[in-house]
Amino acid sequence: MLADWWQYDFLRYTLFSGILIGLICPILGTFLIVRRLSMMADGLSHVTLSGVAAGMLLSKKVAFFAAINPLFFGMIFSVIGSLFIERLRKVFRSQQDLAIPIILSGGLGLFTVLISIADGFNADLYSYLFGKIVTVTIEDLYALVGVAVVVLGTVLLIYKELFAVSFDEEFARVSGVSRRAINLWFMVLVALTIAASMRIVGVLLISALITLPVAASLQISGSFRQTILYAIVFAQTSVLGGLYFAYLLDWASGGTIVLMAVLILLVVLGVKKLKVLFR
Amino acid sequence: MVKLTDVSFQYEDKVVLDGVNFALDRGDFVGIVGPNGSGKSTLMKLILGLLTPTKGKVELFGQPLQKFREWNRIGYVAQQVAHGAGGFPATVREVVASGLVGKVGMFRRLKAYHHVSVQEAVDRVGLTAKLDQRIGSLSGGQLQRVFIARALVAEPELLILDEPTVGVDQESIEQFYSLLRSLKEENSLTMMIVSHDVGVMTQWVNKVACVQKKIHFHGTAHDFEHNQEQILQQMYGGSMKLLSHHH
Repeated sequence: MLADWWQYDFLRYTLFSGILIGLICPILGTFLIVRRLSMMADGLSHVTLSGVAAGMLLSKKVAFFAAINPLFFGMIFSVIGSLFIERLRKVFRSQQDLAIPIILSGGLGLFTVLISIADGFNADLYSYLFGKIVTVTIEDLYALVGVAVVVLGTVLLIYKELFAVSFDEEFARVSGVSRRAINLWFMVLVALTIAASMRIVGVLLISALITLPVAASLQISGSFRQTILYAIVFAQTSVLGGLYFAYLLDWASGGTIVLMAVLILLVVLGVKKLKVLFR
Repeated sequence: MVKLTDVSFQYEDKVVLDGVNFALDRGDFVGIVGPNGSGKSTLMKLILGLLTPTKGKVELFGQPLQKFREWNRIGYVAQQVAHGAGGFPATVREVVASGLVGKVGMFRRLKAYHHVSVQEAVDRVGLTAKLDQRIGSLSGGQLQRVFIARALVAEPELLILDEPTVGVDQESIEQFYSLLRSLKEENSLTMMIVSHDVGVMTQWVNKVACVQKKIHFHGTAHDFEHNQEQILQQMYGGSMKLLSHHH
């Protein structure tokens, strides 16, 4: 059965995409979680969904847009959504967590309206919602490679600034770090990652892959670097294990990946509990 | 080092500081005191560039605040409770190293000698044995020393501390001030400390500034101790009763 993964193009694209997602989601997820912004991915995923719906609607109504991947619109909407969240966090300075539900509801509202205008979409939309192995195309993979290069490059180049801003925004500001620029760029990266990952994990489940491996990692890590490292290991295990079982059992890939991540979290929590009991 | 000329600041309609003139000279160890909401933290934030004055001029090291870029010359220790940092999955080493972010500059990685500076800063605050431990395992007093090491690692000339003893137990407070004094002497630092705990702080600093919208007193700690009752009554109003305590 493993030979199938090399024999069929779509399976290879899925596999490579999965490995890249399992690399970038936990890295960004670690920074999001320590800043208590774990719901950010949820908010942006709904905006991305409305972007994809807008892309599908346009391709249905206007011939010119038929050749453009709806994912592209998803990316644009997601980036705009991330800029809005940053803006709203400033407007609601004392209730910053309000920014995410506002964007989330807005995204979902727009999505449902677009569906009703289009008078329903084909089954393809299901793959955006929950992820499906057979739907990953070479264009999706290219988009993901591009996003992964930008994300990894950014983290390598400004790791210390990202750490400083995540740990203590005020101190980073006093140290001369451009907190606003760092925050803005980081949100754009999260937005692009969500849009590029949705074909595999599905837009409704992407936040799980951003948060669950980090949640497991936080239980056992001894440092910030270790948190990122363990989260990558857990995410890779979830993605590769999830894809394998999804193909074997013909389940939705996103759901299976997320279930794997939940299982890993439960095992880590269980092992930690046992260690405490037998200490 | 720091000069505020006729500085005012207001949040919407509320005037917090009104025409404040204040100067901090090299070698000073100044305690800023005042009741809650008196504007002492605002004064500190104006100096750090975290707030912009509605009127007046702030100068740092002879340069207007708007043009000042050498932030590594200033170390900052924020109020510990404001951090809620205990749950953050970082080690003492990682947190202290983050103090170098401004000095090293964007897109540059820490070099071997930077890591030596981190080790030295941690040694100086007496946490060598905790270097690779997660900060969540430290006590309030130890965590506060981590933040001092983070502020010191870039070798600043001026150290500004905002209510640094809030959430720290009494025994550690004494150790904390003693540490500050030795750091000041070893590194010829200028220090400014904002605190509501007048009794303890004035035993350690050499100058005191009392803030209540304006600067009501700015002089030596010795003068402050002698006129304490009168100064505080002027600031807090006639109904105030002074209770002194020594630790």
